[in-house]
Amino acid sequence: MVDANLAKGECTGTIKFTPPLYKQRYQFIKDLVNKYKPKKVADLGCADCSLLWMLKFCKCIEVLAGLDICENVMKEKMHRLSPLPGDYLQPSERTLTVTLYHGSVAQKDPCMLGFDLITCIELIEHLEATELEKFPEVVFGFMAPAMVVISTPNSEFNPLLPGVTLFRHPDHKFEWDQAQFQSWALDAAGCYDYTVEFTGLGAPPPGAEDVGFCTQISVFRRKYPNTGEPINLEKPTENSYRTIFKAVYPSLKDEKYLQNAVVSEVINTAQIITRRLLDSFNSVYKEHSNGLVEMKPDFQLPRYFMRHSKNPSLAEGEKLADDRNMETYVSGNAVYIPLIKIFSIPKVNKLCGTFENLSKLITGKVALSNDGSAVVISTEHEEKENE
Amino acid sequence: MSGRARARGRGQAGRGAVRGGPPPAPAPAALPTGKDYSRSDDSQVVGTFVSEEEASTSSAHGGAARLSQRCDFSAGESKSQGAVLGKGGRTRYDFPDLGINTRKTIAHVRDCKTGSSGIPVKVITNLYSLLLPREWQLYQYHVTFNPEFESRRLRLALLYSHAEFLGKAKAFDGVILFLSQKLENQVTELLTETKRGERVKITITLKSKLPPSSPVCIQFFNIIFKKVLKKLSLYQVGQNFYSPSEPVVIPQHRLTLWPGFAISISQFESRVMLSADVSHKVLCNDTVLEFMTDLYTRCDRARFTETCEKELIGLIVLTRYNNKTYRIDDINWSVKPTDTFPKRDGTDISYVDYYKQQYEVVLSDLNQPMLVSRLKNKQKDSIEPRIVHLIPELCYLTGLTSRARADYRLMKDLVQETRLNPERRQQRLSRLTDNIQRNSEARLVLETWGLQLGCQISLTGRIVPTEKILMQGEMCLPMSASDWSKDLRNMKMLGVPSLDTWLIVCSNRNAEVMKNLLNCLRRVGGPMGFRIEYPKILHVQESTLAFLRALQQHVTPEVQLVMCVLPSNQKDCYDSIKKFLILDRPVPSQCVLACTLTKPGMMMSVATKIAMQIICKLGGELWAVEIPLKSLMVIGVDVNKDALNKGSSVVGFVASTNSRITRWSSRCILQTTGNDIADCLKVCMKGALSKWLKHNQELPARIIVYRGGVGDGQLKMVVDYEVPQLLSSLTELSTNYRPKVSVVVVRKKCIARFFAEADGSLRNPPIGTVVDTEATRPEWYDFYLVSQLVHQGTVNPTHYNVVYDDSGLKPDHMQRLTYKMCHLYYNWPACGSVVSQDLNAKSTLEYNKQAYHKGCLDSPPAPSSCPSLKRL
Repeated sequence: MVDANLAKGECTGTIKFTPPLYKQRYQFIKDLVNKYKPKKVADLGCADCSLLWMLKFCKCIEVLAGLDICENVMKEKMHRLSPLPGDYLQPSERTLTVTLYHGSVAQKDPCMLGFDLITCIELIEHLEATELEKFPEVVFGFMAPAMVVISTPNSEFNPLLPGVTLFRHPDHKFEWDQAQFQSWALDAAGCYDYTVEFTGLGAPPPGAEDVGFCTQISVFRRKYPNTGEPINLEKPTENSYRTIFKAVYPSLKDEKYLQNAVVSEVINTAQIITRRLLDSFNSVYKEHSNGLVEMKPDFQLPRYFMRHSKNPSLAEGEKLADDRNMETYVSGNAVYIPLIKIFSIPKVNKLCGTFENLSKLITGKVALSNDGSAVVISTEHEEKENE
Repeated sequence: MSGRARARGRGQAGRGAVRGGPPPAPAPAALPTGKDYSRSDDSQVVGTFVSEEEASTSSAHGGAARLSQRCDFSAGESKSQGAVLGKGGRTRYDFPDLGINTRKTIAHVRDCKTGSSGIPVKVITNLYSLLLPREWQLYQYHVTFNPEFESRRLRLALLYSHAEFLGKAKAFDGVILFLSQKLENQVTELLTETKRGERVKITITLKSKLPPSSPVCIQFFNIIFKKVLKKLSLYQVGQNFYSPSEPVVIPQHRLTLWPGFAISISQFESRVMLSADVSHKVLCNDTVLEFMTDLYTRCDRARFTETCEKELIGLIVLTRYNNKTYRIDDINWSVKPTDTFPKRDGTDISYVDYYKQQYEVVLSDLNQPMLVSRLKNKQKDSIEPRIVHLIPELCYLTGLTSRARADYRLMKDLVQETRLNPERRQQRLSRLTDNIQRNSEARLVLETWGLQLGCQISLTGRIVPTEKILMQGEMCLPMSASDWSKDLRNMKMLGVPSLDTWLIVCSNRNAEVMKNLLNCLRRVGGPMGFRIEYPKILHVQESTLAFLRALQQHVTPEVQLVMCVLPSNQKDCYDSIKKFLILDRPVPSQCVLACTLTKPGMMMSVATKIAMQIICKLGGELWAVEIPLKSLMVIGVDVNKDALNKGSSVVGFVASTNSRITRWSSRCILQTTGNDIADCLKVCMKGALSKWLKHNQELPARIIVYRGGVGDGQLKMVVDYEVPQLLSSLTELSTNYRPKVSVVVVRKKCIARFFAEADGSLRNPPIGTVVDTEATRPEWYDFYLVSQLVHQGTVNPTHYNVVYDDSGLKPDHMQRLTYKMCHLYYNWPACGSVVSQDLNAKSTLEYNKQAYHKGCLDSPPAPSSCPSLKRL
């Protein structure tokens, strides 16, 4: 559990960390995530899900999981992990699933397998001796993620914190000094084939350098490569955790959202081209109509209009494809914009990948010419009755 | 946005020299609490109650405190109360008009408010019964801790640790505890220990037992149902719930629609029911930055900032990174994302860095301006408004801009998606109720409290008889009240002036269609009794300027009417002409689009409608209905918020000047100071009475006022303030003048929907359907009337709430009279949706509002300048 209260206490005392230490711990994880780009991250002892909430913005993460023994504290703010309206309006390219489990770190559950990073921020000091005993086997042996981060208070620092008598928090079952923590970590690393590095947050004040960081952190990295599959098949497969929250974020990987995005982009592009075309046509028309010359609406647009287009991506696209196919033309009351031209727009191109995919996605959603090679934008103005 | 736009923007610097940061992060509590929706106007935010299972958020606190405050329960010592309020969310006035009992003041409807005439018809409603065990009550307890704890989390944990509360339905906000089952004792004392070993005494005192119909209970039910909808993965935006995972995309207009629902629980005539209706949230696919960029390419660049502000200010945006909505109150062109703001810890950070750090968002345009939003003060005592700066790139527009609203094609496409016929509407509603009943989590929420969602309510309405239409010398009984234009053929209009001196302005190109129209007008005019002389015809170039020049030269005081045949549907052309003919040279005018005159086969019917409109504009009377009451004056009042000037409103007032109720006087007042509408009604009232006196040589014996534009929570103001003022204005006129007065509040937007069954499918109920049982409120003298035919979608019944009535008119007569009034909207030979007076008031209002907004706020048109222009 995260000692938000303690962090506050730390601020009001003679020793003040800015930003507060709990924030520094989260930032530490976030930096780590940004550096190693894990796809699957779990936070054990996630409490009110603050860290998970911060991590959901990291674009590399596709699976986020939280585990805590206290259901109520998780539920308190878990809805912050739900997708936001904006996520639906502009679905992200990545997929993201956030799940919260109610359970104990002393128990195994297959849902925790295959993670790239597992964090245990200020967790172990809340564990009873029996739980602590099982902890390494569960985390390193069973879950066996590529990386584990464990943080815990450094008891050597406690004398510098005002008001701290025994432990920093009444629920702490123990607080270790640097030697205790490091020997425990080295044991675990050695036993389960991990390397471990030690660091910390909250530097001691000048003159007390020996006490070490206020929060001690160990970063474990698995030595053996990821086999992709759970290693030990004899591991228990029954679920001991209970899912209490699950949110699947809308993503462009989901065809429903991809189609919406592509259709919107195609129509938007076609409309921009049409508008530009009509604008240039109107300016020509105006010149002519000053002399009251009637122009027939059905005409083949001079090609230079398109050449004058300022959009570099349009011009670029023009070079790429066969001239005839790329030609936007007007017929009757409609403008025909070749699909291949729209496909050459970088945004559309990126969304669809292939031309076939583009055709497939917009079929039935966008008005196309008879042969399906061009988007049709009607320029007919439906007039409404005026009062 | 490009550099040039910005350069202009910079010039406007320093308008809002307020220091504001981005909205505070982390976003406190997400979706389900609902506390995070700040909305602009009347819709404030609900405080949420949370039961154990979803240990509450801070908002719950405020909600509870307010709830109890409003209902006169004391909630704890003032100290804890203060803390509660400081933290809490704001109260949304969900049922603001709750507790206004006007029926008891109207003696003759105390026992029965139902009418009797008409044919009974089975009506299916959008109401669902709420099943409660017999004798169900909500027990409200007050909880104190000794010693006291600030931490709500701790209070919750301490209370819930007691076995007495395990597994029971409960909602606790730290001070007030709701239980669905009674505790054994009036006062329960519990001893407990914190983890630190402190001994704590908890005292739980029963404050009240609340029956399901009590206001607190109703609000409580609403909160419970909000929770239920959240369990169904619906998102709350504003007051309603939407399903963003089933978006309807309208790509050609870059809009997304979220289907959803508006629900509420209320006490209806005989029981508590859930009303549910389909709602759609309109969202813009573009960010505000994209919107600005697009606007920049389209509009006059020299006026970009001005146009931009005009378009955006007042709109509600949704941010990308939290779940809040904000109203754009201003745009600050001088602050850019690279500027810094002070964080809560006192350090400065730039907006770019802040969003990068907090949300991993990289801003693409470092020169965009800032949207400014003023937050409602959470603390009552703090005077300084809280201001947030929002990055346009991270905001989405919700709702429609005025530009979008004016886009006929956009609105058409939108309506296609949002206008559901009764059958489809019913399907959506069934799906919602099925989901509530099937989803185990949702059901659990209800069941813990002993609640159950019952079946859809149907009731018996009445179709009141179609009114006879009185014409000159004859009358007709139309086949249907939905359209009697055919029935009127070859009948003479009631009172028609002749059109002797008039102008037609038309472009050279449209000379032919104009000639054709003129012929048709003269042909249809004959049978109507409308003599149309040959006009003076002006052929001009196809430009707004040419039209205006022609008008300038030829509109003289003798001209009765100007008709303009417009070449295209360009709004500015229409606007300029109307502005000129309303303000500069007040004269009735009729604009016609050339293209409407080219539709083959439609000419005669188009001409008929135009002729009728012209007759109205000349002050003629088209038809009448039988009014059994003599010396009855009918008044229509509508009030509209002025979109451009926040805080001011426009009041439209029309009053009949003859007993036949075919002639009207109208007036429109721009009210700048908030709610003092009653004062201006008094002025209007006096004017109307003196007009009546002039035309009838005596004061009216009866007066009925139809008051529209009453928003949520304003009913009290109407009842407590406006009605007395109106009454006093009568006695002030003459001490012994005591007309019989009725005041009816008209609401077109209400949550109630009615369907009628026909041939195995659901239809809109027939015109003239009156509902005055079940779906009405026990404390009001109210009824619903379906008075209009809709071809697409579901009809909106109009709600009539008689808030004052000393006329002694039987409810049946009141309903019939109201229905008669619906026949008198002259723009259309059919029943109007609301009583014509209200519509007329609206028209007057629109008309004048337009005039005001055309830049002549200082000199609003004198009401006398357009006496004959009763409608546009």
